[in-house]
Order: sequence, then C-alpha cells, then structure tokens
Amino acid sequence: MSSRTSLTLPILAGLWILIVAGLAILQPSAMALSTVTTVLQFSTLLALVSLGQAMVILGGGAGIDLSVGGTVSLVAIIAMLLDTAGVPSFLLPVVCLVAGTLLGLVNGILVTRLRLLPLIATLGTFYVYSGTALAITGGSAIGGAPAYLLPWGRGTLAGFPLPFVTLVLPLFVLAVLLLRYTAWGRWIYAFGFNERSARLVGIPVDRARFIAYGFSGLMAGLAALVSLAWLGSARPNIGQNLELTSLTAVMLGGVAIFGGRGGLVGVLAAVLLLVTLQTGLLQLNVNTIWQVGIIGALLILVLLVDNIRMIRRTA
Amino acid sequence: MTPPLIEARQISKRFGALTALNAVDLTIRSGEVLALLGDNGAGKSTFIKVLSGAHPASDGEILVDGRPVHFASPQDAAEAGIATIFQELALSENLSIAENVFLGREMTRNVLGVPFLKRRAMKRQVTGLLDELDAHISDPEAPVGSLSGGQRQAVAICRALNLDARLVIMDEPTAALAVAETRKVLQLVRRLADSGRAVILISHNMHDVFEVADRIAVFRRGRKIAERERRATDPEEIVSFITGAHPDVRALEMQS
Repeated sequence: MSSRTSLTLPILAGLWILIVAGLAILQPSAMALSTVTTVLQFSTLLALVSLGQAMVILGGGAGIDLSVGGTVSLVAIIAMLLDTAGVPSFLLPVVCLVAGTLLGLVNGILVTRLRLLPLIATLGTFYVYSGTALAITGGSAIGGAPAYLLPWGRGTLAGFPLPFVTLVLPLFVLAVLLLRYTAWGRWIYAFGFNERSARLVGIPVDRARFIAYGFSGLMAGLAALVSLAWLGSARPNIGQNLELTSLTAVMLGGVAIFGGRGGLVGVLAAVLLLVTLQTGLLQLNVNTIWQVGIIGALLILVLLVDNIRMIRRTA
Repeated sequence: MTPPLIEARQISKRFGALTALNAVDLTIRSGEVLALLGDNGAGKSTFIKVLSGAHPASDGEILVDGRPVHFASPQDAAEAGIATIFQELALSENLSIAENVFLGREMTRNVLGVPFLKRRAMKRQVTGLLDELDAHISDPEAPVGSLSGGQRQAVAICRALNLDARLVIMDEPTAALAVAETRKVLQLVRRLADSGRAVILISHNMHDVFEVADRIAVFRRGRKIAERERRATDPEEIVSFITGAHPDVRALEMQS
C-alpha cells in the first residue's frame, strides 16, 4: 500500500510541474495568484466529492458511487427549494448535510441490504437524483442563496478560497488520520482487500460500507453547499460529470479500483492536477471536448505506468 | 480428575437428507496434538466447523471444561478459547504482520470515541509472540503479502495465540508448503502443544501426522470409526481404516 502511493505522488507532482511549465511558456499571463484562486475554487467541489468516492472504493466489494454528481445537483435544488418555501435560512447548511447523507444512505441500503451490485445501484440513483433535479426545476437555476453564505463561498485567505481552507484541507487531514492511525482505518483496508478474512475476525463489514456510502453522500452535500455559497444559486446541472472526474481523481491518485490499496494524499494531489490541467487548457482556449479527451488519455497513461511497475515487481 | 478441555458428545450434522456427521464422540486434552484423518467428505471439516462455531450441530453437545456451551458464531467459539486457522488462513495481504495479528481486536486508545491504534504496544506484543514461536520473522511491520507460506502460517498461529486460544484448530496447514517450510510448521504445532494448548490438526499427509500427533482419530462417511494413540498404531493400520479395508470397519459397515 505504501509502496504504491510513494511512487504515485512523484508522478503526479512531475506531471503538475510539466503542465505549469507548459502553461508558463504558452500563456505567461496565466501565471498569477488569481489563477491559483480559480484552480482551488474549482478543486473544492471535486476534492470533496472525490474524498467520499475514495472511501467507498477503498472499502472494496466492487464499491463505487456513480451517484455523487446527481446527489450534488439534487441537494442544491432541495436546499434552495426549502429555503424559498420559508425554512429559516440559517438551517440551509444543515439541510445540505442531512439531505446529502440520506441520499448516500439510500445507496448504502441498496448495496449492503438489498445486495445490488454497487455499479448498478448507484447508476440507478444517479439517474434518479440528476433526473429529479432537472425535472423539479425544468432545467433552470434557482437564485437567491442566503446572503450570509456568500462572503464565505467567495472569500479568500491569501489567495486561497475559504471553502478550500475551511473544508477541504481539514477534512482530508482528518480522513488521513482516520485511515492511518485508527482501528477503523485498518478495517477499511482489511475488508477492502480481503472481505472474507475481515468477516471471519468479526469486523462489521456491511455496517462499515453502509456508513461509507452515507459519508460519500455527506461529502456531496457539502459540495452542494459550497456551490450555493460560491455561485449564489442552485443549478440543476452543477454536479454534471462529477462522478467521472471524481473516479478519475481517485484512480489517478493511486487508489486501486478493487479496494484496499491507496491513500488520500494522492487523491487530493490528483484533484489539483486535474483542475490545473483543465484550467490551463481553458486559458489556452482549447476546446472543452479536447479537454475531456486529454484527461482520459492521462488516466490511461498513469495507470499503464503503474501496471508496468506492478508487473516488473512481481516478475 | 479434571474434565478434558473439550468434549464433543454425539455430535451429528445433517444438511437436508445428507448426514455429514453421525454421532461423533471426541475429547481433546490440553497439551496434546490430535490429528483428524479421513478421505474427502469423511466429515472432518464439518466436525471442525461445528467446533469452531461456523455451523451449529443438528444434535449432540459440546462441553468446554465440563460445561456445555453453545456457539452461534466463530466469535463465540473464540471467546471460549477455540481458535481456528482455516486453510486459506484469512490474512489480509495488504496489511502488516502486526496489523493482521490484531485485526478486529486492535489495542486502542479512545480519543473522543475514536479508537486510535497503539502501534508500539501491538508491535511489541507481536515481536514477543514471534519470538515465542521462534518463527524467524524479524519485522512485525512487514506486509503479509511479502511472506512465504510457512511464515504466513506462523502469523495465523500468532493470531490464535493472541486470542489466548486454548484449542487451536488447523486445517491442512502444510498442504501448500515446501519440505523445509513443512518442517517449520510442524515444529510450531509441537511447540503449541508443549506450551499447554491443545491442537487439532487436519491433514492428508500420513508422514506429518505420525511426526507430530499424540493421538489419531479416523473419520469415514460421517462417523469416527477409529481412535488410536500414535504409539499404539502404524501408518498401515491407519490407511486401512481410512480406505475401509480394516476388518473392524467392514464389520461396522455391515451392520448399518
């Protein structure tokens, strides 16, 4: 596990330097503090969702959460609808967290109680959640997010967006501590890798996975809250593509898709790399269609490098 | 006289119309290695699954220290001091030796309800256990994935010792091992018994059994058909029990 992450980080750092250097040569005007702020602002949503995604995938059992994007959209819509319906504004953050967690726990029930394959279960809820968000709103945004949220959502501290400083960094630090230094963390790696042995020693695998899906929903709910505070409105398509980009970040960050291997530092690094790349391509006026293709090629490349290394080591 | 550590009385196990175990009596005393022999499907594995709490018995009772017990799960059996090392060992290869030994029952320090690991204490205890077994594994922080088959058996045995197991059940511990590794594991089995624990060993290897066992029980078609002190028997006799060629077995099977 450690030998895997130890090479992931240098690779990601190298790629990141390459991208920044390329951008500095091609578009020197992009080298500004405001670019850093933009990158981190966009990173916040992806980082939160990727954290939840990583926990689900680390827990193994073919775990995956394809519904995260739909959850972000639907939570944002639900929160703003309740807000306009007269629910006190100060409750909006609570609504986001509760709604996100509940939507995530629905996945948990489908997977751990009804024994649906996670890929199928969360693909289903992805359609339900994102479809509902679009249907309720007819596709248009709901404006008028509470004013008290905006200074936090748009504020910066030395160029760092406040949501990044107050949510992403502390949550990743806590999650890393949890995985590395607590019994719960060891259990996640244990049943993520070898479910049968974990069950034999009495680890409550199903309950833990149920919680992991709830946690992924909670992170999606937080991302919805950040989007409201940042944009000032709820967009029914705000979560679009987050399921795929978060998957990309998790795998790029060195987490094995079969679970039990990898760490969260790599995931955060991969999030920053992906958003830097996207922002850079945007600055260079590269068509968004090409951007998606480039990210896909990057994912395949990094996984290939990793595979070759694994084959060499076992040979 | 003190009661035996474990006494199984008239244990039967039926799966639908199939009788996998038929009224098996067996006692196990502390400090001895009992080998269970028999063909595939003879009922050995079913018997240890009943003892280890994985399957409930259809009939009969189990006594620990002379008191009847009921095992609803492997955890119940573990509480009673019975640890089972399954053939596939049930180790997590991505975790370290120490983490595997303590998996599911880690030493922790609670901070705000969160169980933080006491890594150093666990490492120290595992080092002690490995020394006690003379297992020749230097680093308890090494990942189990990097160990040989025999070393993995040692880790699984460490886990059993760490549970304060009084009976260790081992299912074919030497099946996939090279000669030198097999030696090592048989030494571990002997050392377990010499330290006052009881060991039940399932094996197909007559040579291993005669090297390490004190007593041998032979299963055939769901029954225990013979039980011998090792000193009072030889491999030929045991083989004839297993295959059913022994006159006693024939007589028994004529009756039924």
